[in-house]
This record gives sequence, C-alpha cells and structure tokens, in this order.
Amino acid sequence: MSQYEALLEPLTIKHLTLRNRVMSTSHAPRYNTDGTPSERYIRYHEEKAKGGIGLTMCGGSSSVSLDSPADLWGQLSFASDDIIAPMLNFSDRIHAQGSKLMAQITHLGRRTRWDVAHWFPTISSSPNREPAHRTFPKEMEDWDIQRVIQDYAKAAIRCREGGLDGLEFLADSQIFSQFWCPTVNQRKDKYGGSLRDRMTFSLEVLEAVRKAVGDDFIVGLRVSADTLYEGSLSHEECVEAILTHAETGMLDFLNITAGTAFTERMLAETVCPGMAFPAAPFLYLPSTIKQETSLPVFHATRITDLATAARAIEEGHVDMVAMTRGHMADPHIVKKLTEGRADDIRQCVGAGYCISRIYVGGDALCIQNPATGREETMPHVIEKAQTRRKVVVIGGGPGGLEAARVSAERGHEVVLFEKESLCGGQINIMIKSPLREGMSGVTRWLYGQVEKLGVDIRLNTTATAEMVLAENPDVVIVATGGYPRTDIAKGSELAVSTWDILSGKVELGESILLYDDQAEDNGVTCAAYIAGRIADSGKVLEVVTPERRLATDVGESNYPIYLRELYKHDTVITPDQKLTEIYREEGKLVAVFKNGFSDREEEHVCDQVIIEHGTLPMDELYFELKPNSRNLGQVDLLSLTRAELELPPNNPQGEFDLIRVGDAVSSRNIHAAMYDALRICKEL
Amino acid sequence: MASTFVASTLLLGFFLLAVGIAIRSRRWRRGVAIDTRFFSRMWQLPKLYLVDVHDVVVSKPFVARMHACVAGGFIAVILLALVVHLGGWDVSAVNWVLLAMLGLMGTGAAMVLWRRIKKPNSLSGGGFSRLPYSLLAFVLGLTWLSLPSVGLIDAAPFYSWTNLLAAALFAWGVFELISGMSGGPMKHSLIGALHLIAHPRPERFNRQQGATALKRQDLEATKLGVETAQDLHWNRLLSFDACVQCGRCEEACPAFAAGQPLNPKKLVQDLVHASQLTPGDNRSFAGSAYPRKESFVGRGASHLPIIGDDAMIPDETLWACTTCRACVQECPMMIEHVDAVVDLRRFQVLEKGCMPSGSVKVIEAIRETDNRFEKTAQSRLDWAADLNLKRLSEVKSTEVLLWLGDAAFELRNQRTLRALVKLLNHAQVDFAVLGEEELDVGETARRLGDEATFSVLATRNIETLNRYTFSKIVTADPHAFHTLKNEYPDFGGEYRVAHHTTFLNELIECSRLEVSPLDEESQITYHDPCYLGRYNSEYVAPRALLDALSLNRVEMRRAQVKSRCCGGGGGAPFSDIDGERRIPDIRMADAEEVGAETVAVACPGCMMMLDGVVEPRPAVKDVAELLLEGVEKAEANQKERAN
Repeated sequence: MSQYEALLEPLTIKHLTLRNRVMSTSHAPRYNTDGTPSERYIRYHEEKAKGGIGLTMCGGSSSVSLDSPADLWGQLSFASDDIIAPMLNFSDRIHAQGSKLMAQITHLGRRTRWDVAHWFPTISSSPNREPAHRTFPKEMEDWDIQRVIQDYAKAAIRCREGGLDGLEFLADSQIFSQFWCPTVNQRKDKYGGSLRDRMTFSLEVLEAVRKAVGDDFIVGLRVSADTLYEGSLSHEECVEAILTHAETGMLDFLNITAGTAFTERMLAETVCPGMAFPAAPFLYLPSTIKQETSLPVFHATRITDLATAARAIEEGHVDMVAMTRGHMADPHIVKKLTEGRADDIRQCVGAGYCISRIYVGGDALCIQNPATGREETMPHVIEKAQTRRKVVVIGGGPGGLEAARVSAERGHEVVLFEKESLCGGQINIMIKSPLREGMSGVTRWLYGQVEKLGVDIRLNTTATAEMVLAENPDVVIVATGGYPRTDIAKGSELAVSTWDILSGKVELGESILLYDDQAEDNGVTCAAYIAGRIADSGKVLEVVTPERRLATDVGESNYPIYLRELYKHDTVITPDQKLTEIYREEGKLVAVFKNGFSDREEEHVCDQVIIEHGTLPMDELYFELKPNSRNLGQVDLLSLTRAELELPPNNPQGEFDLIRVGDAVSSRNIHAAMYDALRICKEL
Repeated sequence: MASTFVASTLLLGFFLLAVGIAIRSRRWRRGVAIDTRFFSRMWQLPKLYLVDVHDVVVSKPFVARMHACVAGGFIAVILLALVVHLGGWDVSAVNWVLLAMLGLMGTGAAMVLWRRIKKPNSLSGGGFSRLPYSLLAFVLGLTWLSLPSVGLIDAAPFYSWTNLLAAALFAWGVFELISGMSGGPMKHSLIGALHLIAHPRPERFNRQQGATALKRQDLEATKLGVETAQDLHWNRLLSFDACVQCGRCEEACPAFAAGQPLNPKKLVQDLVHASQLTPGDNRSFAGSAYPRKESFVGRGASHLPIIGDDAMIPDETLWACTTCRACVQECPMMIEHVDAVVDLRRFQVLEKGCMPSGSVKVIEAIRETDNRFEKTAQSRLDWAADLNLKRLSEVKSTEVLLWLGDAAFELRNQRTLRALVKLLNHAQVDFAVLGEEELDVGETARRLGDEATFSVLATRNIETLNRYTFSKIVTADPHAFHTLKNEYPDFGGEYRVAHHTTFLNELIECSRLEVSPLDEESQITYHDPCYLGRYNSEYVAPRALLDALSLNRVEMRRAQVKSRCCGGGGGAPFSDIDGERRIPDIRMADAEEVGAETVAVACPGCMMMLDGVVEPRPAVKDVAELLLEGVEKAEANQKERAN
C-alpha cells in the first residue's frame, strides 16, 4: 500500500469515471496557431495521459465567440465547427491512454485585445478599462448578450461532438465575473444591480448550455472563491455566487481558484504563485466550498508534491487535485507513483518559467524539463542505445547533469567531473536570493537521478585535458558554464558582479548601484536580495537598466514578485540609462550613464557598482581538447532541427566527439543548457 | 546350539516387539476412532514404499543407498535366518546368501556410521547415535555365528568366548532392531509401515485432486479444532510416531532457517510426547530446539492442552508456520505437519479466541470488509477504472472469469493485474470480473485457523459464482487458485480453475499470443510459489513462458518441489513472529547466489515479500509483466514490418 493511495481512488461524476484524483487544469501553452489543437498540443496532453493522469483539461480560455479571439495565448476556438474533427482525434488519443479530456470555454469579454484576429472591439458589461490588456470595451447591447449566450451553447455542443468528456466555464476575470463584479458592471438593465441580478447573465448561459448538451454531459464552473481584490467580490459574495450556480442543479463540478487575474500582480500572487509562496496556499478555499455543496470540487494552485496532493484528498479538502505545472515538470507523476518510483518524480520548483514565457510572447516550456512541449522530438523516457560508449562530462551544472543523466539512461558509461564540492553550477549562486531558493530543486532531482544511474561523479576535481584523455572517452561533453562578465564600460574593473554579492564574497556597500542589462531574473533577483538585506539599515539601492523597464524579459508570474520586493524597500529604479564609465572620486565611485533616448549623460555617486551582464564561457578546456576531437567541436545544426545528431568529421584522426553545451557556449539559461544536453545526448 | 540360539533369540525379539507394540498402541488408541480400511489397504504397502517413499528418499542419493542396503539387507537377513535356523534349511548355499545379505547390511551399517560421524545438525542424537553400533553388532554377531556353516572357519563350541561374544552382539542387535521397533530408533520401520497403511490422507498416494486441500472442520462439533492429543484421529497419532527424525523437514523449513521458533521435526516429536499416557516432559528429544525457545521445556499428556507456554508446544511456534508444505513434501514418512498446525490453530482461534494481534487485525478486516485491506467492495476495481473491465453482473456469462483476489487492493500487484488484463485483451479472450461482488477467497482466514470466517466467505462466494455462467476461472493468485480449485468443492463449488501462468501458456501454445524474444543477457530466476508448485504441481507453465521470451533463465538451488517459501503464506506476515532474519531476505539471497538480476514470481504474496526486500537486490517481476513486454515487443515489430 502506498502512503499516497488517496490519489489513486477513482472518482465518478454522473456517468463519467476518472481513474484517479490527479488532473491538470486548462491552460494555453501557446502551442496552437489556428484555434484547433496542433499535433504538438495533442502530444503534450497525450504524454500526461500516458503518464497516468486521471483527467487532463485542455483549451484554457477557449473562445466561444468571434470577438473573444483565440490568438493571445494560442487558445482553442470553439466558435466554429472547424474544431470538431481535430478535437475528435484529440479526444480519441487521450481516451486510448485511459485518461479523460475536458475543455474550458469562455468569452474573454474585455480581457483581451481588439487589435488581433478579426479586429473586433472587445465587449463587456460596461465600458470600463481593463487593466491587464488596457482595452476599452464596448458595453454589450441586448443582442450582444443573446448572441454570446447562444455562442456558449453552440460551443458546448461542439465540445460534445468533439468527443470531450465535459467542459467548464471560466468565470474569473472573464465575462462571467465582468458581470458579477460591481466595479465593472454598472448596467441599469436586468443584467446589472444586485449580485443576484449581476448573475443573471451567467445563469442564462448555464441554462442555455445545459439545454444544448443535455444531462449526460459534464459541465463545470471554474471560479474564484475569494477575489482578494478591492472592488471585486468578497469571499462571502463569491460563495453566494458559487452556491447560486451550484443550486441550479445544472453543474456537475466546481473548480475553485483564488484571487483574480485582473492585474498582473494578482495573477502572480493568486492565480499562479511560484516558488516565493508556500505549498497549496489557497487550499482553504476549495475546502470551504466543499463544505457547502455536494458537487465534486477541483483545485489547482501550487500543489507540487505528492504529500500535499494526497493530504488535500485524504483530509477531504478537494475531490480532484490539479498538478498542472507539476505535470509540465513531469508528465508521468501517476505512473511513477503506481510503479513505486515516487522518488523519481521531477517536482515542479515553481520557477514560473512556463507562465512567464506565455506573457512575453513565447510558448510554455519547463525550466527543468526540456522535453515538455517538445514531445514530437524530445523523449520523456530515454531509450537505451545499441552500443555502450564512454561519455565524459565536464561540469556539474544543470547542463552537465542533464548530459550525464541522459547519457547514463542511454546505457553509456559516464564520468562527471565537477570542480566544486557540490553539483549545481550557477544554480548554487542564484539560490542565495530567497526569491530563487526553490531552484535548488532542479539540481536535487538531476543529481539524485545521476547518482542512481551509477554515474561516476568526481567532485572537487578540476578536469584537465590529460584527465579527460586518460578516460579514453568516446564522447566529451563540455558543460563548464561561464563566469560573470563585468568589463562592459570604461573603469568597470571598479565594479563587482552579482555573483560576488550573492556568494558573499563581497560585502555590501552603503550606497549601492546595480546595473542590470541582462534583463532576465538574475539581476533583478540579486537586487531583491540586496533590498531585503539592507532593509532598515540606512543603506540605499538603485537599480539601473538600459531597457525601458527593469527585467523586461521576466514574465508576469515573477515580475510582480520581484518588483514588490524592490519597492517595499524603497529601491530606486532607473530605466533607459546605459552605463558608459565608472571612476573613483574622493573615496566614492561615480557611475556615468547615457540616456538611451536623449544621449544626455548623468553621473550617479555611490560606494559600490554591481554589474549583471550575463556570463562569458569558461572554454579553455574545450579549446585544449578541440584539436584531438573528430568533429573539432562542431555540431550540424540542421541535424539538430531534425532531432538527430550529426557531427561533421572535420578531423578523421580525432579520438573522440566533442560537444559544448549551456553557458560554456554562450550566456543563456537553465532550460537552454538542459535542452542542449538532452537533444545531443539522447542521440549518443 | 548356535542355530537354536539364533532362532530363539529372534523369536524372543519378535515376542517382545509384539508386547511393545501392544503397549505403544495404547497411546494411539487415545485418539479418535476412524475407519482407515486398514486391512483392505495393506496390500498397497510395497507400492507405497517402492514408489511414494522412494520418490522422497531418492533426492538424497547417499541416504537412499544407505537405507536400501540396511533395510533391504536386514529384511533379507531376518527372512533367511528364520529359514536357516528355524526352518532348518541349513545348507551352504543358503548360508552363502545369508552372508551376502549380511555383507550388504554391513555396508549399509558402515554408511550409517559414516553419516553419524559427519552428523548434520538436523539429525537427532540420543538413541539414534546408538543405531550404527547396534546394526554392526547384529551383522558381526550373526556373521561370526554363520561362518562355520559355509566352512570358512571350523565350528567351535558355542561356549567359546568368541561365540559367546558373537551371540551377545547378535542378541543386542535383535533386541534393538526387532524389539526396538516398538520404541527405539527403529520405531520408524514397523510403525512407519502401519502409518503408511493407515495414512490419514490416502488420496496423496494417488495424486488425486484435492490431495493437498485442508480438511473441512465441522463447525457443529462439540469441540472445534485440536486441543489435546486425544482430539486427533488415532491414525494421526500413529503418523507422528512414525517419524525417524531424519531432519529433512528441519532443513526445508523457512521459519526454522529464519530463526523463528519453529522446527517441524521437533513439532512432530512434541506431538508424540503430547500423546504420552501420563504427564511428562519432552526432554528426551535430542535434536534442534525451536530457535529462540532453547530453554523451553514442554510438558503434557494425551489429555492435556498441547499449545501454551506451560504446555508442550509454545504459542509462537504455532503461528510461525507459513503452511508452505516443504516439510510435508520432504518427509520420507509422509507425515502431515501442516494439517496438525491448522487443526491446532483452529482450536486456538475458534474455541479460545487466541491469535497474534496482527492476525486478529487481518481477520477483523476480513470479517468486516470481506477483504484483507479494509477497503470497500467497490474499490476492488479502483486500479482498473480506465480498463473498462466487463462485470459478470452485467454480462451474466463469459468464457473466463478473472478472479482478482485481494491483490487488487495493493499497488504493486495492481501492476501485475494490469499486465494480465492487457494480455487477455491482446489474445482477445472473452473475460469478465466479479468486481464488487468478489470477496476475499478466505484462504488467509482458513490457514490462520478461522474456519468459521472461511466457511462464510466460501459459501457467499460460491453463491455469487453459481449465479453466473463461465467455463473457467483464471487467477494470478495461487492461494485463490488452490482454494477455488481444491477447497471450494467441499462447500459445493466445483469449477475449472487455472493459474494465470497455465492459462497464458495455453494461449501461447495455441498461438493466440505472439511473443518476441526479449534477448536479455542478464540472468533471471523463477521462484516457485508454494501454492502453485508443491500444492498443485505446476512447475512447467511459468518456466515455459520465460523460455518463450528467450530469457537467460537459471535455477536456484532450491527450486520446483524443493522451492523455499517467500514467507508470505499461512498468515505468517500478519502473525509476524520474531526471528533472527526475514524469510524473504533468505529467499532473495538464494536468487543472488545464482547471479540472478531478476526474480520472476507468479504470486502476489511472493511479490509483496520479495519486492519488500531492501535494495540493492534483484528486480522482482511477475511472469505476466515479463510476458507483456514480449507481446508488446512482438506487436511493435509487426507494426514496423507493416510500415
């Protein structure tokens, strides 16, 4: 018997039996381009189904109407019959694996943009500006309301015809709650007024949908049980709204969320809290609702480990526990659990990379699992190679560990050199910032796997060319990472790096200036670390960036958390300034900046200048090994795009293949290093 | 003179034997009367010795030859001596034959002596240490007295010191070897023969179905189970008396090996002591003690309780038995240890309500929830929520009823069941399950002595089964297999039952399943489950399946009929009697000894016990899981060819 067996009990809702209590909620990873499920999207869900998940819900914020465009995050569109045939294929493939498939349908109302797809104006209950997308909606006319209600009903029928097992409405921030929220809905007709009146619209949608799909189709409501947002519904009002809909008898389940996505800060703090938050921070909300209704209750929100998930079920807080980001990190959670391999589950660390990428225009990818979202080319389960080779990996950062892991899974004999006493590379530095502490989970899993696979790990060993050659390797993977670069302006030898600060090598000065032109997490989280350290000490911190705003490449799920920390401690944030020179004057440092738009120079006086400018590769060993290698370090890029590996035979006398990965090539991130390693080593 | 002496000594010896047996039989007669059809079964005796006993004895060739020489020689010598000295056919040729037989017996006696010198711990001492010398005395004495008759030496006066010495040796031999058949180390010969004729399980010798099934306990009886020796049938008291203390059972017993307080040989001897007419102790036993109970002295008599810490057999001994039947299988005298254990348990449970706390818990769970895991009836199919298994309650009739067993509640074994379901689907077998209607088969309760609970479960299960039509039951659980096949008939449920390995092998043989070789270089060994192997003699099918996968199969030293139990039977994991080691650890060491990297099992109990052994250790997989790998590989190959 397993300590997590509560998760493995099936759940029956009406005629539908879910094989276990583990699910993934609807989201839009931006894998679709035309409103229908792409092969990539299907494979992504299929992998979870193969991994044993009970229910996978697809189509986050899928459109019901033409003026609710499916373009923003690559959603599905149930606004036309085009969806039915591809959806049938999709649901067949999920059902073949024993999982169930449902979709989320919605009208975004004002929570979208007008300048996409068909360029229709956004609509809402009243013409109030939407803060997250800055749109000014048209107030819905009577025929708009009737049209949207009918669109919902038609979309629901398409869900049914597409072979889905059910659907849910998304209330929060979208059209349902744009009617419920008193500061958004100021209508004078029957759709406005008291809370009961403001619910008229959603109740009419529910009635129309239920009538359209009949009783033997699962219909649920995803809804916030406490918006936690001034001007929106209180907890009591949320409960009233939920129960009013539940008591119609037309709903089959409730999927309870917390907070709202009205602003990017609320999104980061309540909808998708990351590693800065404790596990299952809002479990009390579905628990409250479950006491009030007999409907099955689903819930997601930072449930990343089996113990928390099993507790949520066992103690009766929820009926289905959603591990949505958990399945991005590891789509085989249930399979590993039932196979007695719970220790092999790669746990979501809450880095927020998946969601952040969506909001900066990218596709959702997992910071620590490069196979997620790439199921067409990258395996989640590595197959054994035909012939056993000797692989030497230099560097135990995420790229090196992934290279060692994948090579060992292939059945090769692997030696891993790490010059420090701990593996983890740059992760060991970034986790000094409390906001990034959770990143240690990336190393923990990789190291555990590598150790279990029997890799010969040589810690405290700085590899030399002789040591590498003495191993008689068939393949050498150089994952030596990089070192921080600060030589970017005249006099920059007077500056220190963020590594110096985070590692504790350099004490903090009195008046600190951090110059960040990496624009990702590293600079801003170092700044947040400093801000926390110097709080109430009289020391001051200024963060300067040449970009139009700080950390431009950090997406919505982390940016608000970092900025919250900076503002809390009175950090001065200065955009649009490029560092040109540093010089010493009267015991102080003077940093000279040039405004990127006006070219006007200004001087900031401080005691300490910290520079974040990415890394330069640590490549001495690579160049030393290069002449003896068969491929002279070259990889055929075209072959990589085909998920194959061709190494040009540049030097037929060479004794081994040589490949560089991660920051040993150029300054990038954990995901890039691991993807390098995976796509190369899976072919070894 | 010498001839008269030999004849009269022999006659006296036989007379004393008759008196001795008459006295000994008072113990057996304390037992419950039963018609054994003794006289009509007598004629089978030579066959029982030459076939059934021989089959057991032959597994130890030295001992078998030793016994053939001694026993064969002895019987021939006695017959010839009677012919010569009583019948008066004192001719040289007959005497030559007599001498030859003495030579044969003498060779055997020398082997007995050699075995005593190299005495393994499992052999008892005491009177048995005397036996080789008694044999040699008999041989030397009679040989000396017979030499003049063939003219090898001149006849000397009978009163010469050499003749007197020879006569004394011969007389010693006669009293030990002939009269001693009623009490001493030679007890096993005559009593053994009587026991074989009156054997409590004559069906064993015909290898009939059900020969290994427990006997039904009459729940209306005034006393349930066995409290004292007097509660046993007389032929069972006789059977214990037939024990020759050879120690084969002790060597085979997994509980003894694990240092749990059980030694089947001592158990049988204690049952002999428990049948004594007046109260006494068991200190005359000169073999291995019950481990961890070395200082325990058993006391009792035929009218006193057998089990108890102030009785003949300590409480823990009774619960340490896994009912693996290795002792029964090993016993050259065909004694039925397991029947004794279960009958003794029945009294403890049904009359006294005494059992180890862990077993109480499991019995309570079974009584309250109809399964060992305290789960709801519906949850028996939780693991199969996505497999769309047909329920018999819906389809009413099916080709194969898949009996899931309580393994369906256990995570590791659910994987076996999933593999089995996939295989049945692959082979397009028409099958269904009882699902929530299935109850625990009752085997654990029955082995723990709770016949009442077993009887309720059996009756209810049979009622359910009889509502439906199916041609056979297939199960992956040998305990359920054995119970359904061999023990339900007593309760009115007669079914064709197949273990999954047997059934899967049939599917392979008739090409309904196609497998590709797995071509694993690593070694694999198959662990025979007791209730499939020793209880039901299925050794071939699981091996055939592994061989169909072209696996590099090796045999453990203890395999097939001699397989060592995993420790999971007889409710032992629940009773959890303290020992020095765990039985599954010992079994895993058996596998490691032959270099196996995988242990293939065919029983959910074995899976739980062996998979629970601390790593690093060989992997443990059910045969069905391995077979599925081969079938899926074949399917993949086929697809590849099609492309």
